[in-house]
Amino acid sequence: MHEILFRGQEKVALIESVRFEGLTFAYDLERPVFDNLTFEVPMGLNLYITGTGGSGLSTFLKLLGVIIQPQKGRVVMNGKDTSTMSFEEFLPYRSKIGYSFDFGGLFANRTLHDNLILPLLYHKVCSENEAHEQARSLAVEFGFERQAQQRPALVSGGLRKLICVLRAFIMHPQMMVMDDPFTGIGMDASRKVVRMIQERRETGGLKHVFLTSRDEVWPHWLGCDSLFIEQGKPRLEERKGAA
Amino acid sequence: MHAQEFLWARVDGLGRNIADAFAYTLRVFLMVYLSLRAAIYDQSQGLRTVLGVIGSQIYFTGWQAMPLITVLAFATGGIIILQSSLQLSLLGGASMLGNLLIVVIVREVGPLVTALIVIARSGTAVASEIGNMRVNREIEALESMGINPLSYIVFPRIVGGVVSVLCLAFFFNVIALTGGFLVTRVIHDMTFQFFAASLAEAMTLEDVGLFFLKNGFSGLIIFVVACHQGLLVQQSSHEVPQVTTKAVVNAIIYVTGFNLTITTLFYLNQILRLGLL
Repeated sequence: MHEILFRGQEKVALIESVRFEGLTFAYDLERPVFDNLTFEVPMGLNLYITGTGGSGLSTFLKLLGVIIQPQKGRVVMNGKDTSTMSFEEFLPYRSKIGYSFDFGGLFANRTLHDNLILPLLYHKVCSENEAHEQARSLAVEFGFERQAQQRPALVSGGLRKLICVLRAFIMHPQMMVMDDPFTGIGMDASRKVVRMIQERRETGGLKHVFLTSRDEVWPHWLGCDSLFIEQGKPRLEERKGAA
Repeated sequence: MHAQEFLWARVDGLGRNIADAFAYTLRVFLMVYLSLRAAIYDQSQGLRTVLGVIGSQIYFTGWQAMPLITVLAFATGGIIILQSSLQLSLLGGASMLGNLLIVVIVREVGPLVTALIVIARSGTAVASEIGNMRVNREIEALESMGINPLSYIVFPRIVGGVVSVLCLAFFFNVIALTGGFLVTRVIHDMTFQFFAASLAEAMTLEDVGLFFLKNGFSGLIIFVVACHQGLLVQQSSHEVPQVTTKAVVNAIIYVTGFNLTITTLFYLNQILRLGLL
């Protein structure tokens, strides 16, 4: 895994723990999604985040991936308060987290191929040729070679989501946070994504998987444990299936 | 009693507006600092990436605005030179033409017209572009990939904007002065030597300083305000036109306010130097 460090920072070998401490997050201040939540996030699992509609599943994932910060409280990663860290200080953690959005997230002025290779080239993880080769092999594996040079607006929503999922994988993260990754991408691509998660887990690179899904089949295939969120309170439930 | 309450409510409202404006201004200048800091600290972003975005910004803001600037500068220069040379001739002060043109075009009209054109063309474009990026979660995606939007999106646009405005203002001045002269030639018998000598004599180092100060600030503030407004979009595309309009209004207020302040200070200084105050 490529290390991205900021000015003499210590390396972050592993993301070992994520803890929400007294966390309050609200889009509408009168109806907080999470109110004073303290919760130790179970790590090392394939965790299926589920709950009733509007119970804050995407928000939970964004807080977990430190895409957003709570209005009160803090998200503590490996014992460190992420809210007090600058963008650069958080980079070693960030580079170990892959995040895919439930919609959007692709750059409208770049082709699908360029969207895929952006993090690789930006962080100089590999040479340009290697980055192009990685993106091409993904295009062949997932069957979008013909659309790879199209911009996102010209391809289907499902393919856009697939590219967003694959881009999250391309940096070989230790922790994957995926917001509804399987909806719309098709059976074949979903199977391949599940297989990719399983392979990355077997090789030891991928340690923690957090996902939401409209279709329970895929979390079941992955042998996910469930984290049920109800009225802003998460609780761990029984295993969905065998890996 | 009722009138007193009404008056206090107005005073309260005014105070709140002033405090809000002050806080907004602080946020805008904080963004300048943060984007500069992000660009310096960003160890991943290569010079090629930054230069690419700066180049695109200069192409869009500077190069593509040149036809419009040409027309406006030509017309403005023509009108001002025609009017001023006629009035000065009547007053017997034709030799002061250069001074008047430097004062009116280079110091005042050039920076203002250039800034207004850039606000209308590029300030709106940048605010709506970044606003749409927010809606489309491109900004969040950048952060999730460890790419700082301030160094990747904001900083190159500010630098490109400042360079573009400086170049456009210079271009405006050149076209306004020479184009204006050509218009005048049709009506008045004025040699180019006389015109050029008059300008050269009137031009001082202070004018060069004012040129960089006014146009540099305009470039900076237009693009910082546009980026700031764009990033204020929360989640819905209906917010994009709202923030774009606000970007235009705020940029105009900052630019005109700054130009007025600098001009006032400059002339107060001149009056003091002449011992008239």
